[in-house]
Order: sequence, then structure tokens, then C-alpha cells
Amino acid sequence: MDKVALYAAVNTKIRAMEGDFLKREDYMNLLQKKTVADAARYLKERTSYGKLLGDVRIENVSRRYLEDILKRNMIKNIDRLIYYFRDDYRDFIHSLYTKYEIEDLKSLARAVFNGKRPEDMERPLAFLGKYSGADTAKLFKATSIKGLIYALEGSEFFEILKPLLDGKRENLFRFEMALDMGYFSIIQNRVQKVSVEDREVLKKWEGMVADLYNIQWIYRGKKFYKLSPEELLNYTMNFGDKLTFADRKAMCYAKNLDELYRMTMDSGYGFLFKKEEMSRDIYMERRINRFIYYKLRALIRKYPMSIIQTVGYVWSFDFEIRDIISIIESIRYELPLEEIRKFLVKAA
Amino acid sequence: MAVEKMKIVGVIGKNSLLSRVLRLVVLNGSMHVINALVRVNSSDFFLPPSEKNIEALEELPFLKPYSSKRDFSHDEEVVTSLLNLFGITPRVKLEHLGQDYDYDEFIKKLSDIHEKVRSKDNEIKERMRSIEKKREYIESLRYLAKYGFDMGRLTGMKYLAFRLLKITRENYDKLKKNYENIPAVVIKVAAEGKYVIVASITPVSLEETVEKIFSSLNHTLLPLPEGCPGTASSVIEDLTKSIDEDQKAIDALKTSLEDYRVKFAEEFEKGFSRLEMEKKVEELKTELAVGDRLFFMFGFVPTSSVPDLKNALESQFREDIIVLVDDINGGGPGITPPTKLSNSKLFRPFETLVKMYGTPAYNEKDPTVFFGLTYMLLFGAMFGDVGQGLVLLLAGLFLELVAKRTGLGGVLSRIGLSSTVFGFIYGSVFGSEEIIPPLVVRPMANINFMLVAAVVFGIVLIMGGYIYNIVNSRLEGNIEEGLFGRNGVAGLAFYMTLLYTASRAALAGSGVSPALVFTMAGLLLLMVFKQPLTARLTHSDKLYKGSPADYYIEEGFGVIETLLSMVSNTISFIRVGAFALNHVGLYVAFATMGEMMGSAWEDVVILVIGNIIIIGLEGLIVFIQALRLEYYELFTRYFRGDGVEYLPARLKYIPRASGKMNFFRNFRISREIGTHIFAAL
Repeated sequence: MDKVALYAAVNTKIRAMEGDFLKREDYMNLLQKKTVADAARYLKERTSYGKLLGDVRIENVSRRYLEDILKRNMIKNIDRLIYYFRDDYRDFIHSLYTKYEIEDLKSLARAVFNGKRPEDMERPLAFLGKYSGADTAKLFKATSIKGLIYALEGSEFFEILKPLLDGKRENLFRFEMALDMGYFSIIQNRVQKVSVEDREVLKKWEGMVADLYNIQWIYRGKKFYKLSPEELLNYTMNFGDKLTFADRKAMCYAKNLDELYRMTMDSGYGFLFKKEEMSRDIYMERRINRFIYYKLRALIRKYPMSIIQTVGYVWSFDFEIRDIISIIESIRYELPLEEIRKFLVKAA
Repeated sequence: MAVEKMKIVGVIGKNSLLSRVLRLVVLNGSMHVINALVRVNSSDFFLPPSEKNIEALEELPFLKPYSSKRDFSHDEEVVTSLLNLFGITPRVKLEHLGQDYDYDEFIKKLSDIHEKVRSKDNEIKERMRSIEKKREYIESLRYLAKYGFDMGRLTGMKYLAFRLLKITRENYDKLKKNYENIPAVVIKVAAEGKYVIVASITPVSLEETVEKIFSSLNHTLLPLPEGCPGTASSVIEDLTKSIDEDQKAIDALKTSLEDYRVKFAEEFEKGFSRLEMEKKVEELKTELAVGDRLFFMFGFVPTSSVPDLKNALESQFREDIIVLVDDINGGGPGITPPTKLSNSKLFRPFETLVKMYGTPAYNEKDPTVFFGLTYMLLFGAMFGDVGQGLVLLLAGLFLELVAKRTGLGGVLSRIGLSSTVFGFIYGSVFGSEEIIPPLVVRPMANINFMLVAAVVFGIVLIMGGYIYNIVNSRLEGNIEEGLFGRNGVAGLAFYMTLLYTASRAALAGSGVSPALVFTMAGLLLLMVFKQPLTARLTHSDKLYKGSPADYYIEEGFGVIETLLSMVSNTISFIRVGAFALNHVGLYVAFATMGEMMGSAWEDVVILVIGNIIIIGLEGLIVFIQALRLEYYELFTRYFRGDGVEYLPARLKYIPRASGKMNFFRNFRISREIGTHIFAAL
């Protein structure tokens, strides 16, 4: 199909839906609020989220509940966009759910591992089953990682997790790693099926995301998990934008963290480690997300008639929800305004 | 048409005979068992002091309730597992229970068979698992078939570990690019779809490290047999042979199981029947009384079944048991005689509707015939239509004869019949009044007549109710209710006077004569003073049962209620006429819609839909309205329904009959709630 015909309609829809995003002054106003209820009331009365919070009792709204509402709204909006696509493209948009479903699956696994009940969890699990089609009731009934894997039977995730069922390996760490690796192989698979131009953009985009996540993973693996370089390397994504396999391998085999910093500086991703040692770990995630956000905006400007518009919208929505939740949490723990802003992705 | 007469049958026998006697009683299936101790202690129990009864008389003062409880869980497990294994449907068959047998011996034999059968079954499962495992080995060995290694030596190495694994292509790619850092020899053996099969050899001391690395590649370990000498291909051959052997062994085991089936299927079926019987017997034992040597058992048996039971018991046990047959007189708490309704075939289905309200007491007049008759009349009058009536009749016959739902089907076919008859009276076929002429009246053309006729019909029914109550009160010797009660003679007289006065005032336009007013006032006073009056008549020493103040407050309101309810109950019957009109009206609406459709074809469609709606919706409403008139206007007047249902000890040996018969009981409404709902309608 002609790409103008394909994207003109969906992009218009996206522009319209972006109009619902919070404005800069909304963030500013939210940051001024002193209690969670005040922030929720602001969202309800002054922003486009009002229609979602219509009959919610603001006085005793919980963070989990709010997050759940926002995420379900995100699902609803992505579902709307899916209708603009056909066949392989539809599959690709559908695969955008994988990232969020895997996040939910990982939190559920952690809860199961710690013997917590799903209803006592801090996070809502709005995305469960959205990509895999797994039965959420079955997932919630699982009482072990093994049970969780069997509950996914019939989905693409089960194929990824099946090797863990040998009686020795069905632990939380392997579960999380297998899913993370699986995510990128699913995405890679889907990317192969879109048009050449779109594939180009996506390759650039996914490569950059992979680079950032790889560096973060190698850094954490070295610092916290003390894994062998071979294992570290096996758990990296096997593609990238600026980083080649040789670069990744060298990073994995770096003798110490200082050597890793130096390599990162050379690679162009030095900003991840800038500033003082203290703040590195806390803010790394936010730095990655902010970088992704700005890169995404640049790509959106550069390729107006491409799939990146849709991807950008989904990610942007995700960042917005993260920001709202960060603000609400910070208000609850009474962080000063300046501290809060250090955690935000879109507004700062 | 009545409540069947009962006799109390007692059986006294040696404790050793207990199970066999009970089995016979259950097979006979006519005894409604009651608590033996209550019976023995009741005032009218009498054991004639003859030689035969001496032993029983000696034990009488020392009777205890039967207490030891048997556990059937093991027997149950044996029987169900045998039935499941051989795919036999559990069914109780009378022929398996007829012969005299020793249950314990029988179940012991069954349990031995079960032990053998189970071990064979387990062996089959074991062999199946082994075949499964060997197939997996063969699967893995296929990848190595092209090499000439000795598998026994390869897997049995002391310092080196040989592994065969499956990883994805992507991960194999990573492994290859970092090969220089992997402390193992890794050889690609085969590629399949998105997976690669690799063999690895590593020093045992480094195995753990290598295992971690492979784990990070999300590998699947392919199983290899240990201690099997020869090349992969020859090992595959050996395994295939061994699978064949297993298969043969399984076949042999299955044939031997089949032999068991052929030989013992009958026994397994017997096992189920006998176990069910034993459970029932155990249930009955709780009602028994036992002494040191004898057991006592009592129950109500319909008079017609007494000879059968007595003969069966005496022919099998002869001198070892004593069978007592007594008439019912008075009884006492705990031994209320149960009610077994026996009505002619025409009215039997209506028993379920009566029991929904309550089971008639043993000495009460069975209202089923009156109910059935009036119910058919009420339904027919409200839903009179030849065509629709025939549809209901056919549906009812289908349910009754084909689907074996005698309760619902029977009621439906009978009211369908009545509807058809009234259809001829009204001259209506499928709503249309143009096909046949009416025999008596067209409802829509004679609205006033319909309404008045309905009320007159109601008055007749209400009077019937009065008469029923007076008869019932006489039967139980209740002077207070029968003579002075508001549903007794006084009430009836008052009702008739009231009707006479009202009709005279309405028809002749004349005033109310003082004599009538005084009569009515007098009758009301009789009702108010019913208790003290009865006490005087029967010369009892107390005028009131409770406190006089409470009594008069209650009766004062009672009078008001009587007045109100007499008027409202009578007018309530107007609905019979109204529904007859409504029935025509609904059809007219559909007929008009049909005409508006234009084409004849659409007209017919609308009429068919209309008729379906009328049969379904109006049929249901009329069904409920008629029931409401019966329950609220009539039953409250004369029917107490506090009897005990006759439930003889027996086995449900025809599985189809159970469960379906109880259609009405499933949504049985408690009497009070039901009455309130109906009153509101």
C-alpha cells in the first residue's frame, strides 16, 4: 500500500490523541500539589483524564488503582490504532504490547516468588495476556515460577520459557532473563515483515534502544550480579546501532567498571555515567528514557510518513504514565519539588 | 382419591439377622421407617405377652439406639476404581440384590480382584512411561547416528562430560562468536528450524561453569541413555526392539485385564449395587433400637403393601423374627403417619402442585381432586382456545410420554385439554374467532357477562373451600374451627348472608333489612367468641388457652380481616373474566399488526409469531394466576398442608426416573413467602 495512504489517516488520529497528553503547565501544576488526592483531583477536573476518573472517589484513591486506570486507557488507545493497519503491520503494532506484558509478567513472577498474592501487589497488571493471549485467571492462580510457565502454555512466551522446565532452572532470575531476551527476538521477527523504509527506521530505533539496554545490563551484571563475562555476553541483545558485537564483547570482558566507563565514553553513550558516582544507579533508568524520548522526537520529525509515528505515540504514552505515577509517588513520600523533577522523563 | 391408609409395622429379630432383614425391607421398598425408640415408648405400643414374645419383652426396657457407624470409603474406592478401569456404567440392578449373600465376604473377594487388577494396571503405566523415555532417547540419538562413536564409552567417560543440547540459532551465533572463551568443545550436529543441535564435551571439573553458560543461552538438554554400548544407530535399534517388547508386554497385560473383564464384569456391577444397598441399610440403622440380642424396627406401610412385606419377611426368616402389624390410633410426637396420596390417573400430576404448597396431613382430606378440577376450569376459562390448547396438550403429552417428565407434562396436557374445551365454548382457534361458531359465548361481545360469570364462579369455588374446611375440621374433631371459625359454619353463613344482602341491594335496589344486619352481627360475634364458646360446649375447665386480652385483640382484628378478605377474595375472581378478554385482546393486536404488513405472507408470519408469544407469555401468566387463585383464595381457607411426605426406604434403581420427577420441588417456594407473593399479584 502507498505509504501516504497508509499513514495519513493514522497520523491524523495520533495527532488528535496526542492532544490529550498533559501540557507543560499541567505538569507544573501537578508538581505543586501537596497530597495524592489533590493531584488526582487536578487530573480529574483539569485534564483530559477527567473522563476516565469520572466516577472515582478521589478522597481515598490508591496509586495502584490510578495506574491501572491510566494503563487500561493506554491499551484502549493502542487498540484504536490497530484498526488502521492490516496483516503484518497489525501484528507489528500488536507486538508493541510485548514490552509491557513482559514487565507485568516479571512483576507477577516476583510476587509469586515472594509468596505474595496478586491482589496485594503494588503494581496493577493491566497488560497481562494482551500479547500472549494467556488466561489471566490461570496466571493469578500460579503459586510457583513453574506454575506460571505452565499457565502460559499455548502462547509464544511458553516456547521461550520451556527450556527452564528441567527441574533446576525455573528460578526468578532465569525467568526474567529469558523473557527479556524473548522480547527482542519477537520484535526482531516482526520488524522483518514491514516495508523496507519502515524497517530502516525501526532498525535504527531498536538498535539504539538495544545499545542503551545492553550497556545498562552489562553495567548491572558486573556491579551487582557478578556474572562471568561469557554469561553477560550471552544475555546481551544480539544487535545494535552504534555498538558492534565486538564492542559488546569488549565491554563484557572489561576488567573493571572504570574500563567500562571509558569504553562507554568512546561509544557516544557517555552521558549514562556522567556526574558523580552516587547518582549513577538511581538516575540511569531516567537518563536512558529521556535520551530515548528525545531521539524518538527527532525520528518522528525526520520520518513523518512512517511507522515510527505510531511507535513514538505508544512510548510517549508510556512515559507520560510513568511521569504521573512518579509525581504521585513523590507526593506521597513528600519529596521536595527539585527532587521530584529529577525522576521525570517528559517534563523536567 | 384420597390419602392412603397406613399401618405401623414392627420387626423384631436377632441382631445377627439385622443386615439381611434391612436389605429385604429396602428391596420391598414400602416402609417409611420411623425412630424405633420413639415408637417403643409411645403410649399405644403393646407387645402381647405370648411365649414367642418373651425374649423381646425381656429386652424391651434395655433398648439403646444403634450407634456403631461403618466406614465404606475403602469399599467405595475398590468399586469405583474397578468400574472406571473397565468402563462400566454404575447402575443398581435388582437382580444383584435378590439373592441372599454375605456382604463382607463378597467385598473381600472384590477387593482381592482389585488388588491384582491394580498391579497389572500399574505395570502397564510403568511400561508406557518406559516407552516414552526410550522414544526420547531415540529422538536424541538420531542426531548422532551419522557418527560411528561408541555411545557407551561416550556417556560413560570418567573425566569428560558429553552433552547433547538444543539452542536457538541466535544464541548459537553468540556462542560461536565467543567460542574462544568457552571452556568446552562444542560441535554443531544438526540444524532444525530456528534451533541448532550441538554436542559439547567438557572436563568434569569445568562442567558447572559450562552449564551456567549454556543456561544463559536458554538451552534444552536432550536426554541420552547411559551404559548402552554400540554406535548410535545400533543403540537406536536396541531401543526400538526393547520398545516392541514393552508393547508386547502391554498387549499381554491388556488381554489379561480383558479376561478379568469378561470373567468378572457381572461381579463388578454387583459390587456397585450391593455397596449402594449397604449404604442405604447403614442409613436405616440409625433409626433402629437394639438390645443385647434383638433389634427393633418400626415403620409405616400402606395397608395395601402390608401383606407383601409380611409374607416376604416371614417366608425368609420364619421363626427367627416377630412381625407386628398395628393400626394407627392417635400416635404421638415423632410418629406422625406419612401421607401417601393416591389419586386417579387424571388428577395425579396435580399432586406436585399441591405438594409445592404443602403435603396434606394424614387425617386431612386430600385436596388434589378439587384442586385439579378447579385448576383446569380456571386455566381453561382464562386461556380458552382450540388451537393453542391443542399445542399445550401435545407439548404436555410429549413431556409426559417421551421425556418422562410426568409432573410438568401431566399438568400441561390436562390444562391444554381444558383450554381446548373452552376454546369450543368461546369459538376461538389460534385467536381467530372467525373459524368456528361459539358454543356458548364470545368473551369480547359479552364483557359484562364474562366478568359477572367469573365472580359467580369464584363464589362457587369459595363455598367449595368452606365445605372442605368444615369436613376437615369434623375429621379432626375441631369444633372451634369447624363451627365458629371464620372458615367454618359461622363463616359460611356470614358469607352467604353477606352475598344475599349485597345482591338484593344491587339488583332490587331495596334497602338493607335490619334482620339481616343483626344476623351478620350475631355471626361475627360467634366468630369473636369462638374459643370460650367451644370451651363451654366441651365442658373444659379453661375458657381461654392463653391470656384473654391477647385473644380478644387478635380476634378483633380477625373480624376486620374476615370482612376485608371476603370481599377482596370474591372480587379477585374477576381476573378470570379479565384474562379471557385479555386473551382475545392480545390476538386482536397481532391481527391488526398483521393487516398493516400489506402482503399475505407477512401477515401469516406476524400471526405465527403472535401465537407463539401468546402461548409462551400469556400461557405462563395464566398458569401463575390460576395457581395464585388456588393457593391464596382457596388453600388458605381449608388446607393446612403440614403433613409428612411418605418416603419409603428404597433404592433408586432406575437412574432415569430420579431427579426429573422433582421438577416442581426444585423451585418449591416456602409456603409463607409464596402466599405473600400471590397476595400481591
